[in-house]
Amino acid sequence: MPSSALFSAAIEQAINRLLSLDSDSKARLSRLNGMRLYLFIDPLPNAICLVFSTQVDVLTEYDDHSDVVAKLDDKSCCIQTRVSTLPSLKDTNQLTRLIQQGELTVDGALSVAQQVSGLFQHLDIDIEEIIATNTTDVFAHSLVSAAKTLSEKARTGSEMVSRVLGNALVEEKQLAAHRLAVMHFSDNVNALRDDTARLEARLNHLESTRSKS
Amino acid sequence: MSDPQSTHSNDTSTTHFGFKQVEKNQKASLVAEVFDSVAAKYDVMNDLMSMGVHRLWKRYTIDCAGVRPGNQVLDIAGGTGDLTAKFSRLVGSTGKVTLADINLSMLKVGRDKLRDRGLVGNIDYVQADAEALPFPDNTFDVVTMAFGLRNVTEKQNALDSVYRVLKPGGRLLVLEFSKPTSEQLSKLYDMYSFHILPKMGQLVANDAESYQYLAESIRMHPDQDTLKGMFEKAGFDQCDYQNLTGGIVALHRGFKF
Ligand SMILES: C[S@@+](CC[C@H](N)C(=O)[O-])C[C@H]1O[C@@H](n2cnc3c(N)ncnc32)[C@H](O)[C@@H]1O
Repeated sequence: MPSSALFSAAIEQAINRLLSLDSDSKARLSRLNGMRLYLFIDPLPNAICLVFSTQVDVLTEYDDHSDVVAKLDDKSCCIQTRVSTLPSLKDTNQLTRLIQQGELTVDGALSVAQQVSGLFQHLDIDIEEIIATNTTDVFAHSLVSAAKTLSEKARTGSEMVSRVLGNALVEEKQLAAHRLAVMHFSDNVNALRDDTARLEARLNHLESTRSKS
Repeated sequence: MSDPQSTHSNDTSTTHFGFKQVEKNQKASLVAEVFDSVAAKYDVMNDLMSMGVHRLWKRYTIDCAGVRPGNQVLDIAGGTGDLTAKFSRLVGSTGKVTLADINLSMLKVGRDKLRDRGLVGNIDYVQADAEALPFPDNTFDVVTMAFGLRNVTEKQNALDSVYRVLKPGGRLLVLEFSKPTSEQLSKLYDMYSFHILPKMGQLVANDAESYQYLAESIRMHPDQDTLKGMFEKAGFDQCDYQNLTGGIVALHRGFKF
């Protein structure tokens, strides 16, 4: 017991600490209120269940995968995969292949998995602003310019990728990407767009405070 | 360990209060004095005495409780509300948690703590004796009792009472100090609880006596198998227990079908 309880306690603390660094995460978390995400990650001895409310509670799940799947409702989702597969999950293009190869199983409400991924992908931790307020004006200025260029590039890139792939998905029905992959993809594009917008707003704010001083 | 049953069967007029024998009708007020006295420092002392491990024992209890959104949960002898806090988030707005305790001071500390954490809306606070729970039959999906049962005068009455208020299909979890499974651990544990614990109680809470009672009441509590037998006597099915930390603590579980 203590090791599984310790493990879930550590994950719970880490997740909530991370979320507390971004004030916007409260609103995203509230949209997940009452939802549950079960994660079976081989070879971890026990599954965990993330329960969303005003915070994230992490429970150790002692039931088998089939029992958990049997009790899923429209507010819960269960993902089964391997530790070694986790890095590939970031690449949403691979999701269909992983599912086909049996490396990833998703049961229940896909929207829960999607919103949970949104909760973490949209994390907006103010590293740039922290750096700017803690460094010299000159350094902040060069950082701001470099970041601005990067942000513009990212925005143009994301819009282009989104347009091209959006068309491909609509026109090429036979492409039939897995629903989850599509949802993840659009989620990523939105995230990138949000990120760029936020970065731009912050840069403008920084520049205005800099020019005032 | 002496047979705990012999000292508090219904036909004797005395029971144990720690290692002392007292009149049965005195025990509740003596226990009340202990918890009135420790209420304010209870959480701090818990962390200190168990070196934080009580949090893991409670976490395991919550994992085994299988609480679902919409459930009705009773946390009896809930004290300062550690289990209730988590249950409140797990049952959500469609469920309810009842934090019940015989002691008003503990209940107040619990209520203030939970309110400060923003946990409002789905928690009821009820002053109640585990031996005579003031709830209708078949009310709760899950009942938990953490570190409370050993303080109850007639433990069997408490188990019977919980059985009555559980819904069919519901479960009871009792987390309580128990009997270490190894001789060495037992010796070490005795040394800790009879020598170090009261000193810590004196130092931090200025109250060695209450912590002496704690150590004694642990020794007088039924061991794992005796308690399992008491669950069965109350009518519970599929009764089992898990030793935690070498049996220093055990989690007993039983279902009402
Ligand atoms: C050691 S505390 C445990 C509090 C909490 N459950 C925890 O684990 O932190 C024991 C609690 O049992 C309560 N208690 C003692 N006798 C009781 C009884 N007969 N009925 C209900 N509660 C009782 C005390 O008031 C006290 O709050």
